Amino acid sequence: MKPKLSFEWLHACSGCEIALLNYGEPLLALLNRVEIVHFPLLMDHKYTRPEREDLPLSLPEADIGLVSGGVAHQEHLTVLHEMRRQCRTLIALGTCATHGGIPAMRNQWSTADTLQTVLAAGDTEPGPMLDEPSLFLDRVYSVDEKVPVEVSLPGCPPQPELIAAIIEALLNKDTVPPANKSVCETCPTLRKGKGQTTIRRFLDNADYDRDQPVSRMRCLLEQGLLCMGPVTAGGCGGKDTPLCLRARVPCRGCYGPVRPGGNQLLDMKNALASNGIDHRSIVDRKSLLRFSGAHGLIQPAGKRR
Amino acid sequence: MSPEPKIIAFCCNWCSYAAADLAGILRLQYPGSIRIIRVMCSGMVHPEMVLHALDKGADGVMIIGCHPGECHYLTGNEMALARAEVIADTLEDLGYASERFQLTWVSSAEPERLVEAFRTMSGRLMLLRSEQQTSYAKKN
Repeated sequence: MKPKLSFEWLHACSGCEIALLNYGEPLLALLNRVEIVHFPLLMDHKYTRPEREDLPLSLPEADIGLVSGGVAHQEHLTVLHEMRRQCRTLIALGTCATHGGIPAMRNQWSTADTLQTVLAAGDTEPGPMLDEPSLFLDRVYSVDEKVPVEVSLPGCPPQPELIAAIIEALLNKDTVPPANKSVCETCPTLRKGKGQTTIRRFLDNADYDRDQPVSRMRCLLEQGLLCMGPVTAGGCGGKDTPLCLRARVPCRGCYGPVRPGGNQLLDMKNALASNGIDHRSIVDRKSLLRFSGAHGLIQPAGKRR
Repeated sequence: MSPEPKIIAFCCNWCSYAAADLAGILRLQYPGSIRIIRVMCSGMVHPEMVLHALDKGADGVMIIGCHPGECHYLTGNEMALARAEVIADTLEDLGYASERFQLTWVSSAEPERLVEAFRTMSGRLMLLRSEQQTSYAKKN
């Protein structure tokens, strides 16, 4: 019998699922080895089974479950708990599931403030509010804050090869190697030591010769561009040049911190300060946590413990 | 809640740890809730160690190093100073009061200065606690 795969998305944009579909021809070989039992993006599938009509929600059993997106609403939580019950191995797929991702940036406001800003009319009248705003959780959580997960695979989106490699490893009962190297590990740019001591505006372009390969370009951090490479988990380019660097722009930090409990804001500022770069020249420093705001890292302003 | 705020003090092996030793020999009194962790240099204390201590329930964290220009490793305390700025800025971003962190310079011959720093920090955290209790009582 083929191993069963179950996919679910919570507070997500479907980018992670599309990344898997973007794997190309090898995907067909992979699909032949498994049976997909639940995949809301691709298949019309009910959330209840006829034989279990007494339950409000029941998903099929699966060997491997992949969940993308964070947890922001009571419904996400219900679906996630059901996925955990039915899947032997659960993979948190994508940065939203592992670190909160972009939606977790709303953790800098309270849920009531967010709903008011998003749903209310701009100026005079209070706009239509949802009947049951209480169904929203107090903040955006990552999947592993709510249920235990066996594998965390960050990325916005994760590279198709990485998703496939993890599924293959689980199918072959291999161990999944942890990602514990930073983006800089595979970055070929030239590092000369001391560079510029202030951070330039994000809109500034890097200096490089377009006829030369990336390996002839000077390290973007040394050029004074805020590259999150040192504090971001690597893997986006496989063993090759990281993806953003291929486009000659600085790393945005989408794979989350290098170590699971890391804090990209603190680590990045520490890296700058220890190298004599003026860390106060960063405009909007809080956005360094743009991909990893769950786990309570982004807090509403004014809260002082 | 314990009456005295729990403080983690990272003390440099070459100055403040020796000063703490001397304070003990001289029988100087300071709050008993201070936990000293010996480090080889104040510059090796990563900001994440400070954050970790606070996350695990410490009321305050101190980094105590050699006076500027007296570092055993020449520039370790300059690194500590640069990191301290980062910690102070970032604690507020992460929802902690920046009063919970303090960087102090103490030489190995200044046990009184060390004890005074401990007392000041403890008093400051007591004050912070009572302020937060008052604002909590007002809200509810």
